[in-house]
Amino acid sequence: MDALIAKADALQPKQKKRKTFHDSTDDSLKKHTALPKSLRSTGPELDVPAHKHIANKKLRTELTRNATHTARSKALLQDAEMLLTEDAGLMHAEGDLERTWRVGQTEIEDGAGQDAARGRREWTLEGGPYRSRYTRNGRHLAIVGSTGHVSTFDWQTGTLHAELQLQETCRDITFLHDHSHFAVAQKKYVFIYDRDGVELHCLKAHIEPTRLEFLPYHWLLASIGNAGYLKYQDTSTGQLLIEHRTKFGACSAMAQNLHNAVIHLGHQNGCVTLWTPNLPHPAVQLLAHLGPVSSVSIDPSTGGRYMATAGRDGTVKVWDCRNWKGAVREWSARGGTAEIEWSQRGALAVASGGSVNVYTAPAIHQPMHGHTQPPLYLTHPIPHRPLASLRFAPFHDVLTIGHSAGLSSILVPGAGEPNFDSTEADPFENRKARREKEVKALLDKIQPDMITLDPELIGSLAPPSKLSTATTFDGKPAVETPFARLPRLERLRVQGKADETEVVDPDDTAPDGRKFTPEEKERKKMRGKGKSLKRFLRKQRKNVIDPTAVAIRAKLEKQREERKVRAKELAGGAPRKASALDRFASG
Amino acid sequence: MKIKVLQHDPAVHLPQRPGDPTPTSRNLDPLMHPFARARERTRALNAAKMDRMFAKPFIDSLEGHVDAVEVMAKQPGSLTTVASGSWDGGVIVHHLARRNQLLHVPQAHKGKVSGVCFSREGRLFSCGVDRSIKLWSLESSHTESQQPVTVFTGKSAFNSIDHHNSDPLFATASNLVQIWDETKSLPVSNLTFPTSTETITSVRFNLSETSVLASIGSDRTFTLYDIRTGKAERRVVMQMSSNALSWSPTFPTTVLLASEDHNLYTFDIRHLAAPSQIYKGHVAAVMACDWAPTGLEFVSGGWDRTVRIWKEGRGHSPEVYHTKRMQRVSSALFTSDARFVLSGSDDGNVRIWKAKAAERLGIVTARERAAIEYRDSLKDRWKQDAEVGRVVRSRHIPRPVYQASKLKRTMLDAQRVKEERRRKHTRAGEDKPKAARKKLVVVEQA
Repeated sequence: MDALIAKADALQPKQKKRKTFHDSTDDSLKKHTALPKSLRSTGPELDVPAHKHIANKKLRTELTRNATHTARSKALLQDAEMLLTEDAGLMHAEGDLERTWRVGQTEIEDGAGQDAARGRREWTLEGGPYRSRYTRNGRHLAIVGSTGHVSTFDWQTGTLHAELQLQETCRDITFLHDHSHFAVAQKKYVFIYDRDGVELHCLKAHIEPTRLEFLPYHWLLASIGNAGYLKYQDTSTGQLLIEHRTKFGACSAMAQNLHNAVIHLGHQNGCVTLWTPNLPHPAVQLLAHLGPVSSVSIDPSTGGRYMATAGRDGTVKVWDCRNWKGAVREWSARGGTAEIEWSQRGALAVASGGSVNVYTAPAIHQPMHGHTQPPLYLTHPIPHRPLASLRFAPFHDVLTIGHSAGLSSILVPGAGEPNFDSTEADPFENRKARREKEVKALLDKIQPDMITLDPELIGSLAPPSKLSTATTFDGKPAVETPFARLPRLERLRVQGKADETEVVDPDDTAPDGRKFTPEEKERKKMRGKGKSLKRFLRKQRKNVIDPTAVAIRAKLEKQREERKVRAKELAGGAPRKASALDRFASG
Repeated sequence: MKIKVLQHDPAVHLPQRPGDPTPTSRNLDPLMHPFARARERTRALNAAKMDRMFAKPFIDSLEGHVDAVEVMAKQPGSLTTVASGSWDGGVIVHHLARRNQLLHVPQAHKGKVSGVCFSREGRLFSCGVDRSIKLWSLESSHTESQQPVTVFTGKSAFNSIDHHNSDPLFATASNLVQIWDETKSLPVSNLTFPTSTETITSVRFNLSETSVLASIGSDRTFTLYDIRTGKAERRVVMQMSSNALSWSPTFPTTVLLASEDHNLYTFDIRHLAAPSQIYKGHVAAVMACDWAPTGLEFVSGGWDRTVRIWKEGRGHSPEVYHTKRMQRVSSALFTSDARFVLSGSDDGNVRIWKAKAAERLGIVTARERAAIEYRDSLKDRWKQDAEVGRVVRSRHIPRPVYQASKLKRTMLDAQRVKEERRRKHTRAGEDKPKAARKKLVVVEQA
């Protein structure tokens, strides 16, 4: 018994101060199990936010622990870069007189390895201009000609999956989650085909579509058409999720931000609008060009920070998506209307007139006044106007240009990301891996209402509330009273619903604006008669914003203004002649 | 001009020979993993939902008793042997894995069996209100005859019995605590607190400090004894009486009390002035409690017809088990492997439950184990998320229990408001309010 309660002080008077409790067993264990100082990590100081505003100690500790863990893993991520095995392509000028843009495709082909050189292709096809789209792993290519020639194939092995002659106008094509399904924007509706070209669905809700985008992590197919309706179709459940009326008419420029799944639309009046499924109006609307917007693209290499637009006014502009005050950089594209596309590693391709120009990263993001073209990285002439589409192949240094005579693929060294992640997109995946990925992606499907401009919003901490339920009683220190036990007025105050604007009694102020002194007020006080309107107002003033009270207050204000004007007219000068326009002035 | 165009070597990314696993490559750049957080949250939500979907804790019910099951005891060192005693005087020893009975004595005692416990050699002691203690052997020659090996007779009805951890001693509770030797027919010593006159309802030996003994009595007391000194050392009088007690198997100074006031309390016996934690959740008197052998969890059963599993140190939102046919729970046990929970109730059945409701029984492969652990960590990481937290927390409980808990909450709220107002408007408000933990103990005596 004594062994158990030897250290007990149960019978001694309670100590005022809490003693720090030392367990000798724990101490001796610590001495032998703790990591020696020399072996402890001496990494850089971690930037961990102190959650000082959190009152709950347990929660605060938990949050700090989580934040430390996150910061440490972020620091470790930098070490993981050493494990990346492959290097990106590059084209590097060695002498002062050499220019990368002078290098033609034949020279690049010679410099490239045998496998890489196969990326240079020319497909001569009838029925152009053509548009194309790659799967997310960059292995499969879908092409569509404007007169209805559709084809999907593995462009590396040359395996043809499907070839269709749809015999009607086709405006766009996109793969769904992988190459097993694709959607075509045809003359009247959007159609979904499977890998073999069998028509699976006709989406009659999407009328006269012009552009298609597929949001892979949300399983949403978005379309915009000549009627100007942006429609989202959930391809996992088949429901038409929502349709937004853009009110800008026909639209032929659409792009998605891969990092937050926001849809960017370029309109006929020069506006660019950003859309999410949960907002009935654009999240952002900006006037980008003086004519119709012809193409929009978002930079994936900076996490969707930069957007490029091209307009019928012949300019190309680069915008910072965090700060919409004017373009970061703008220049004129030769040959008028341009088509633009950004690659995985931040090379910007601009197809205008009869050539494709490629610009590279640091220069296009640097703010510059005036219409200065950034230094050209690579250029390639194509004689078959118009150049209808541009697509970079993910994980390859390949740019596919769709034009009136078919498609051409050119090599753009340094455009593609060299190291792919097998869990996200794997160019070498086999059938089993593809099927497994499909199931996993379905399980991880993100709900469409979670699309926001800031993708980091989910899982981040709510900002500390400015409203507090702390109340004070008779000068005693503030006590945090639970919301449920506050009186009604306090609850309204906490919710921010209380009308805390001080109501100025119109009888308190003299005609010249200064306040009455108490004596004057006493003298002018109306006695005996209670104005019913004032009584009504007093009742309504109970700290609640009530539309009727607001209206009455506004009405009173107006009457007072009128009275003031009348008094001024009586006091000074000749009365103004009545005019026919007065009825509009007074409303 | 230096030109290099990206090309992937198929030899690196494709299996070398047919049948080889496909090589995978990783790129941890956050830009390569868009929506990582949102997707992880979806996974956490799915994990939480799956957990609730697979929560089927009930395994089996062991029948055999004619009346309510009053007491249960597990055999130390055995995973499967459990004895139960009932109000009709019957004693059954169950084999949990085979679900059969090793010993069934329908009339072991006259009146109810008030205590069962195992000796270290695996023999069974039972005591009853018929003022006798009987020693049963589980060997087959004895089980057929259904006769006890030895009978000890006392002067008054026994309420509880517990065996010493190593010595051939056992303690019984009647109006006093008596220590018996297995080989002697009369008690070795009598232990009682000098001023105590009430009935002792339960007595338990400490598991590691083996000579220390604790008892609870109907006079709302909790008493500590030492059999070496042969006297009572400490006594605590509380607001309400306790129904059961259990020593923690890993923290020798921690003791758990199941109280009549719907709560459970853990005490550190070095500081008996206040409990170290209050466990609130039951909506009627708690009748039984037992620690898991890990000391991290314990089970309780109560008059509200539910079995609850608590985490040590977490005084709220326990796991709740119930079935339509289970009546008031008068005994509860954790098995020695901490995987199962037993409950004995008024309907005469001993029920077997999983300790973790969604756990899969049977062999779990390494991949499955990894997936389970990943899901658990996801749930833990996202438990602050409103939706994930709601799924993790929500439990279906029977309507009467739900109504009772609602009523209880209303009453406690009203009480608190009243207390607050009283403090605001009287001189009582000048001091700090008394913490709930400090209200429990009325007096501590040495």
